[in-house]
Amino acid sequence: MAIEEVRTLEMISSKDTIIHNLEGRVKLVAILLIILFTVFSDRLIVPVVLEAFLLIIMYLAELSFKESFKRVLLLLPFGGFVIAFQPFIHPGNIIWQGPYSWLFITDTGLNWTILLFARLIVCLTAIVILSSTSPMQEVVQSFRKLGMPRDLAMILTIMVRFLFIFVDELRDIRQSMASRNFDAFNKAISYKWRVKQVGYSIAMMFLKAYEKGETIYLSMASRCFSDNSALYHARTIIGKREYIYLGSVIVIIIALELIVLFYSNHLAYFGLSLSL
Amino acid sequence: MHIPDGFIPLGQCAIYYVILIIALYFAGKWARANLDEKRIPLLAVLAAGIFAIMSMNMPIPFGTSGHMVGGALVAIVFMAPEAAVLVFTAVLLIQALFFGDGGITALGANVFNMAIVGGCVGLYTFKALQGMIGKYPSAFVAAWLATLVAAVVAAIEMAIAGTFPLTVGIASMALYHAFIGIIEGVLTVIVLYALEKFRPDLLAWNRE
Repeated sequence: MAIEEVRTLEMISSKDTIIHNLEGRVKLVAILLIILFTVFSDRLIVPVVLEAFLLIIMYLAELSFKESFKRVLLLLPFGGFVIAFQPFIHPGNIIWQGPYSWLFITDTGLNWTILLFARLIVCLTAIVILSSTSPMQEVVQSFRKLGMPRDLAMILTIMVRFLFIFVDELRDIRQSMASRNFDAFNKAISYKWRVKQVGYSIAMMFLKAYEKGETIYLSMASRCFSDNSALYHARTIIGKREYIYLGSVIVIIIALELIVLFYSNHLAYFGLSLSL
Repeated sequence: MHIPDGFIPLGQCAIYYVILIIALYFAGKWARANLDEKRIPLLAVLAAGIFAIMSMNMPIPFGTSGHMVGGALVAIVFMAPEAAVLVFTAVLLIQALFFGDGGITALGANVFNMAIVGGCVGLYTFKALQGMIGKYPSAFVAAWLATLVAAVVAAIEMAIAGTFPLTVGIASMALYHAFIGIIEGVLTVIVLYALEKFRPDLLAWNRE
């Protein structure tokens, strides 16, 4: 996702739905549990059921399926690139032989590819849901309430606040470059010159960030900020809806683990261990 | 270079998280000793700036494109890899949570590669070469090597995880990042040159 879309994301995450209105910590913990269990398990039943659950959450959060999966697709490249090689590089029984002796697909490689791909899709869907239902500041505050060290939590809080300013700075830099017909990808211009211009923009951005950091410190210090300043965070209540939401995630995870432990041979391919 | 969720088994992720916690402990100690109470706003806003810088793509010969990472740059500016650890933990956490760039479970591994390895290789290469070939050439080599070594370490981690064979992984990651590293090196030199020209007081090498 392009950094410029951070504003769109903030707008989507501020909607008023049953999922958006849940307490931040509960949404964060639920998504982290789903990601952890997906990475932990090597049976296909797990990502399949969890993806179905995430689609229900997506529906309840009134998120556009089309837009959400567009985002998942945009996030795929690096993971997808690594996955694309998997069927060909792992030893096992050859199930397809290409025109060259070195080009073949093994059953182990294919199983591992399917598992990795399923894991990646579930984890990315989970991240898309978290970022579309929780504003950045809410997630950072949730980390603070869950016990993140004070310094790191404060760095994240201020960083998130200033991210939007730098998105604007970046947009302004790009606009002023475009208004002078500068395009970093224009091959008609000398490559050396293009690198130099991008370098200067990065230097300006770095300088602005550093100087803004100093200014922020001075304005915080003038308002009596010190190492001992207490962090403010809004009080939020974990109610019945939150218990139901988190409880349902935990129940699904426990149920899936029990099914994998005791009934995996009834699930055909979905119950097989697909790890290497 | 951002390793996604699911590519490294949870047991190995836990090891990288332990390394991350230890690194954060030492980075926090360094920040308290060297940046006083200024450290929080300074590093936070710098992290937001680095986040934006990482989204500026630059064409690379052979039809691909890449962006600056900045691990070596941050370490050289502060003359401390600890600064890179603090800045990149914040940047990579936000990238993982909101942009799906790198995994939550792989966060420890990603910080290890880009901040700890990238920062240390960058800074100590710079320090080793500075006296021999000068500031800017050594900054270029340091940033290039930091990118390359961080990518190779990522390939080794994926090989240990069983996701990618060691030789193929190292060869492909090293080849690609050898080119990306050139851009990283050039951009690092330009940023350091600009800082030296406009705000030399910000560079720790002028205070040592």
